[in-house]
Amino acid sequence: MDENTVFIKKYRESEIPPVNESEIWRYSGFLGKQNEISRELKNAFEEVKKETKGIFLYAVCYRRMTVAWENGAPSLPFGSHSQSLSRLLKNCSEIIVFSATVGLETDRYIAKQQKISPLKALLANAYGAERIESLCDKFCEDAKSLLDGEGLSVTRRFSPGYGDFPLETQREIFGLLDCNRKIGVSLNGSLLMSPSKSVTAIMGIKSEICDKEFENKCSECANKNCGFRKQEIL
Amino acid sequence: MTVLDYMKNNLVCLDGGMGTILQKNGLMPGELPERRNITHPEQIIDIHRRYFDAGSNVINTNTFGANCLKFNGSELEDIIKSAVENAKKARELSAGAQPKFIALDIGPLGRLLKPYGDFDFEEAVECYAKTVKIGAKYGADLIFIETMNDSLDTKAAVLASKTYADLPIFVSNAYGEDGKLMTGATPAAMVAMLEGLGVDAVGANCSLGPAQLAGVVKEYLKYSSLPVILKPNAGLPKSVDGQTVYDVKPNEFSNIMMKYVNDGIRIFGGCCGTDPEYISATVQKVKNISPKQISDKNITMVSSYTHAVEFKDSPVLIGERINPTGKKMFKEALRNNDIDYVLNEGLKQQEKGVHILDVNVGLPEIDEKETLQRVCFELQAIIDLPLQIDTSDVQAMEATLRRYNGKPMINSVNGKEESMRAIFPLVKKYGGLVVCLTLDENGIPETAEKRVEIAKKIINTAKAYGISKKDLIFDSLAMTVSADNKSACTALETLNIIKNELKCHTLLGVSNVSFGLPHRDILNGAFFTLALENGLSAAIMNPDSNEMMKSYYSFKALKGLDRNCADFIENIEKYARPQFDAVKSAPAEDAAPCAESELQRAIVKGLKEKASAITELLLEKAEPLDIVNSQIIPALDIVGKSFENKTTYLPQLLMSAEAASSAFEKIKLKIKENPSNTVSKGKFVLATVKGDIHDIGKNIVKLIMENYGFEVYDLGKDVPPEKIVDEVLRTKTKLVGLSALMTTTVPAMADTIRLLREKAPDVKVIVGGAVLTQEYADSIGAHFYAKDAMETVRYSLNLVESGESNE
Repeated sequence: MDENTVFIKKYRESEIPPVNESEIWRYSGFLGKQNEISRELKNAFEEVKKETKGIFLYAVCYRRMTVAWENGAPSLPFGSHSQSLSRLLKNCSEIIVFSATVGLETDRYIAKQQKISPLKALLANAYGAERIESLCDKFCEDAKSLLDGEGLSVTRRFSPGYGDFPLETQREIFGLLDCNRKIGVSLNGSLLMSPSKSVTAIMGIKSEICDKEFENKCSECANKNCGFRKQEIL
Repeated sequence: MTVLDYMKNNLVCLDGGMGTILQKNGLMPGELPERRNITHPEQIIDIHRRYFDAGSNVINTNTFGANCLKFNGSELEDIIKSAVENAKKARELSAGAQPKFIALDIGPLGRLLKPYGDFDFEEAVECYAKTVKIGAKYGADLIFIETMNDSLDTKAAVLASKTYADLPIFVSNAYGEDGKLMTGATPAAMVAMLEGLGVDAVGANCSLGPAQLAGVVKEYLKYSSLPVILKPNAGLPKSVDGQTVYDVKPNEFSNIMMKYVNDGIRIFGGCCGTDPEYISATVQKVKNISPKQISDKNITMVSSYTHAVEFKDSPVLIGERINPTGKKMFKEALRNNDIDYVLNEGLKQQEKGVHILDVNVGLPEIDEKETLQRVCFELQAIIDLPLQIDTSDVQAMEATLRRYNGKPMINSVNGKEESMRAIFPLVKKYGGLVVCLTLDENGIPETAEKRVEIAKKIINTAKAYGISKKDLIFDSLAMTVSADNKSACTALETLNIIKNELKCHTLLGVSNVSFGLPHRDILNGAFFTLALENGLSAAIMNPDSNEMMKSYYSFKALKGLDRNCADFIENIEKYARPQFDAVKSAPAEDAAPCAESELQRAIVKGLKEKASAITELLLEKAEPLDIVNSQIIPALDIVGKSFENKTTYLPQLLMSAEAASSAFEKIKLKIKENPSNTVSKGKFVLATVKGDIHDIGKNIVKLIMENYGFEVYDLGKDVPPEKIVDEVLRTKTKLVGLSALMTTTVPAMADTIRLLREKAPDVKVIVGGAVLTQEYADSIGAHFYAKDAMETVRYSLNLVESGESNE
């Protein structure tokens, strides 16, 4: 594998799973039962869907790199250390570093709705979050089936800021992926990404089946009171 | 011979990829390729020389990322110096007999500019300026700005190049499959802006292979009056047996490039994945093509950050509502820094279908330069229409033109020497379509003949400044017919001559014609139709006027400008009914006798229209303050309590808040009639702290606080501590809300609190945001940590009741 090349993958909307509405309600802070959602509220989201038709871009850039192990610690193409990442990457010989975005138009739409309807802004924000997660899911799914062919498996994705994986790693990931040139994602001084609905993450590649303990992406997070926290899988 | 001389009669061949060749030569992951100018000069010289040998006329120095964000001062200078020297050595070594030039290569800084990023426009200009100065000092022949994926960033690089070097400027942008830049601009929009800025060549590079850029090439050749550049990738990289290969080979690449050169591309080369083979193959295939002459397309257009608006046959509507003249509420909004009010005027007009927004914020008691800049900046964050910058303050004009994202309209210049001396240099520097008033030192001439004379004088003077006729649009000045019943005729005659004999575009502020007369709308609509028939290109108008909109759609349908009358059919219905009927009919439906509890119910259920209609009805017999206290607040409390009990959630809370807001709109209007009334519970300054650009949570707090009667001064996002303190002192506010989303921006929150405690010690600070906790809040010295909007309200109301937040 050529470690030096950053590949770009762009998806058509039809390749991404359709919106998962229960995620929209979860991201927008609705924790009740789905049948409690009023018609008016549902209509508001329908309007958002209509008005954002075609504005999402589904772009990913990625790089596949080898990982050397020394004294039980992985040597990674960035300086920061993270125990939770090391745990995830146990027995991995390679990683995929990637960045994904659904584009800037989402931010523009949200900003516009902030001035017109804060409710629709909230729903659009949730929609953007759901879309970028769906894009990442799709990309990881594809990587998984591709690597299946090589007799390899992948871990779940892990992003700077998760567990003890420092947010500062963002700078190095941006250096590795040339995200701005490849898919138009940039990093600002506070390590926030623009467009805001963008993700950077790392996946491990190994020759064995992955551990179940990492399947729940909330399991490594220290914020136990988070309203968005997914229940532990037992 | 300069590259510009050579370009006049010759095709110009550029170089191909640099980065992809360096990778083959062992560039390590994370290694900055620009350092190789110093560490491996022989490699760089060799690559350049091979391009010259392959037939390149212009090679780009290895400085794509050589900017002050990546390298410090002395290293930056060393890198650019060696880069230029390497290129010069390659030129000496090459056996190629063609004229050879060295371009200082400039790529994007990689930071997104405000409002969607945090990088300031002027900071970007300064960064580019450093690179430009060094490149010019060491003898580059031209500047090649490339792979830019944002229009405003492109503008920053061009301004730096124009200001700090006297070299030809080529500009090339990176388009996606959708034919747009990452941030949305189309080729036409880029051509409009870059021609306005006075660059020497424009075009596209990188991101796609030559075949996928067909649409982009077509657009460039259609709109550009400048030589067009094309420098595509060798297709897309693919991994084959562990090797990276690009899927378009030299033969295919050069065949497609040859076709484009036949179509009119004048400057060609390759980007990622191409090498000297691609270049020599292309040179061989185009060597016998005689270059297509470059002609002025004579297209008049302006642009926003997404698209261009062309002045052609179909009339252009310029919304006039962002203007304080004669508008009490608008003036008050400007004085209170209430930008949202102004933005709303923009949104409403966009909704009504105008193509351009006029922006005038001239009011004697405000800082016009500051306000005009801010309003245009905020408008460009949420509205993608081009703007017409309307001010008589030349400094305000320049400051706003400088940061405008696109090519704006400039309102205005006139036949006075002084006016032309002030405005034309700005047009030359920043680009723009200028509104030219046909008046001069002697006032407005009474005859068409004399107005046309002034127009001619303006055209000639503009020409002397290097501004072409296509960038002038003439206002033949419609004065009211109530004072002079020949005035409409004179304006029409003038515009007819300017359009048909001087071949210039024309514009009118249509509604002036009816000043002082009853039912002005009717006269305006008729005059508009007459003016259009006489050759009017654009109208500055009120899109709320049914008569104007009727004229517009009718004219287009009647003149064959509306295919199948589709626009007419789609839009005319809403203008067909008399205006005041439409307004009156809404509340009638809800004229239920038990409206009082109905209002509460409407708010609790989050029914916006209903809440507004019921409030209007209630206001006929009840006092506004009573409605607030006995209806709206109790309704909000019901929702607020169930939100706190977790039986209602955020989206529902917001729905109710929006319904309450729509009720408040009506209440406020009523209160304006009797200014001694007030619903204010107190003042509240609100901001997302410096470095943070997330503001959804902050805006929710704003909405709910307003619902409960607080006067909210919203400073927006990414707000520095000083600005927050200034606003607190200016408005004499005792309560401040700060929001931060990221751990990395909490320190900015701490700084803000420190400064507030120093300069405004009796202020109480509420903090909130995703990463905050009670411990965090305590450690940075906040008075209160609110986990949501309702907690902010409760705390604030408690302070009000205990009298602590009073002035």
